[in-house]
Amino acid sequence: MASRNDRRTPLERIEYAIIVSTMLLMVVVTVQPILNLAAISLSDPGRVPGMSGLAIWPEGFSLDVWTLLLNHPNVRQGVMNSLLITGVGTLINVTFTALMAWGLSRPGLPGRRFLFVMVLITIVFEPGIIPDYFINKRLGLLDTYWSVILYKAVNAWYLIILIRFFEEIPNELLEAGELDGANAFQIFWHVVLPLARPALATITLFYLVFHWNEFFRAMIYLTDQSKWPLQVVLRQFVIGGDKLSMVGVQAMSNFTGASQISIRALNAGMIILTILPILIIYPLILKFFTKGTMSGALKG
Amino acid sequence: MAAGEEQRLDTASIIGNVPTESRRAAFLRGAQRWWPYYLMMAPGIVFFVVFHYLPIWEAKIAFEQVRIIPPNIWVGWQHFQTLFASPVFWQVLANTLIISAMKMAFVFPVPILVALFLNEIRSGPLRKFIQSAIYLPHFLSWVVIAGIFIAALSPSGGVVNQIAGLFGLEPRSYMTDTGAIRWVLVYSEMWRSAGWDSLLYLAAIIAIDQQLYDAAEMDGANRWQKIWYVTIPGIVPTIATLFILNAGMFLSADLNQVINMSNDVVRGTIDIVDTYVYRIGLQTGEYSLATAAGLFKAVLGMLLIIVAHNVSKRLTGKGVW
Repeated sequence: MASRNDRRTPLERIEYAIIVSTMLLMVVVTVQPILNLAAISLSDPGRVPGMSGLAIWPEGFSLDVWTLLLNHPNVRQGVMNSLLITGVGTLINVTFTALMAWGLSRPGLPGRRFLFVMVLITIVFEPGIIPDYFINKRLGLLDTYWSVILYKAVNAWYLIILIRFFEEIPNELLEAGELDGANAFQIFWHVVLPLARPALATITLFYLVFHWNEFFRAMIYLTDQSKWPLQVVLRQFVIGGDKLSMVGVQAMSNFTGASQISIRALNAGMIILTILPILIIYPLILKFFTKGTMSGALKG
Repeated sequence: MAAGEEQRLDTASIIGNVPTESRRAAFLRGAQRWWPYYLMMAPGIVFFVVFHYLPIWEAKIAFEQVRIIPPNIWVGWQHFQTLFASPVFWQVLANTLIISAMKMAFVFPVPILVALFLNEIRSGPLRKFIQSAIYLPHFLSWVVIAGIFIAALSPSGGVVNQIAGLFGLEPRSYMTDTGAIRWVLVYSEMWRSAGWDSLLYLAAIIAIDQQLYDAAEMDGANRWQKIWYVTIPGIVPTIATLFILNAGMFLSADLNQVINMSNDVVRGTIDIVDTYVYRIGLQTGEYSLATAAGLFKAVLGMLLIIVAHNVSKRLTGKGVW
């Protein structure tokens, strides 16, 4: 490497410096606004109104915002709902998708082409939210967690990714299983799934992120506020600018500690709280997604 | 189906004059072999039928007069006529096309540049660090991103106005500025996807044969010549595929983004077909009209993706399917 660098002309060095600094600028532009919100949420509430948007370090240090948020019934309920929807939803997603992908990856399956076309059509033609709403209504799913959980229970793109992966499994391994007298289910469970672990991990992460971030369906299907996932609660606070619901009428009119906290600090804390689970699994995402995307072209 | 039959024919021709089994026997043999697979696929198939195909049937209310006491009355194209006569619909359609065109022009090329730049960075750890940071926004919801942008663009203490202030510019309230809000959509889309989408191009770049670069170097090509004559031709199929997918989404312009970045002041400027469908359908209760608008969008979107697919196939020999 050193010898390579030595061969570089001054012009090439300047080019390289420009490329690196452009990319570092992109990093700053991406991360700074998030760090700023984290800093605001951890600052002394009294100093938040004067805080600069450039700050990435808390001014003073206080957990007031976080204490208020984490003790807030709506927020707690939101976190529980999100965890429930994400957990159950992902479990159903991965199970349904893996089972269907396994069948569709078998070359001799009768009706394989038909099923493929059936899946592809759903990618290019979506009749829209109103028919979707009516189906949920007709099935009695409105205002139940199921309306959100079952949406995209099998995602056509992820299904195709898994099919491609299953097709790569060497036939000898499957035939060995058959010779041992294993039936189709046993082969799937004992041979296919262990081999598919990286692919399954990838789509599990895809689905986890999808459910955690789901907002629109939850907003239109769940009228009962106690079922709202965190994203909808966040929207009510941040986009709706509804501080009252956050602080509570009592605390607001009493001029107690809570009313001193600015809406800016509460919003910042709420946003960071909603991102937190994503940040926690982000190292895993980097590990699997980047690898998965490198090995086969996919759109996520 | 076809593959299975071929296999049987092959076996028969190898073994010789084996009497062909009756259709019934063949069917039973197939059923015996394949029923476990169909059992495993059943939940998925049921899901597709119920949540993707029943809604298509359900969309027939676009042609019906909805009555409180069923049955609905068939009215044909009446709702579509109402729709096409409505100036609001043409406005939202224009908004959608303008926003999509802006995104196509200003957002679509960025991940390509990002991938080209990333590929030039030789230091592994530095490259990993940059990647880890710029992929993150892709995994954030639009509610969160809208929250981040509302804070960053705020006239009081937002980072953008603060930097503009350093150059002596007056603070602007971008989120409530009809002249700025479409650019906010463009920029926030770029912020969210430019990093992650570059990954697909980077994968294509890495797959390019190293010998081509070596040959170019022998010919004395510099960095930019190598990019222009080797890298870019190598990723054209990927560019084409992503272009098609984007073209197919041209009439969508991202409902989740718009609904979270919208407010009373700028609604008219960024109201798109999807938000219009949502508003007149689920908020005002004009189900038939909303479904008609949704169907119009779905059919046009499907035609777009088919056209884009064929164009791409003719130009690069590669389509999406």
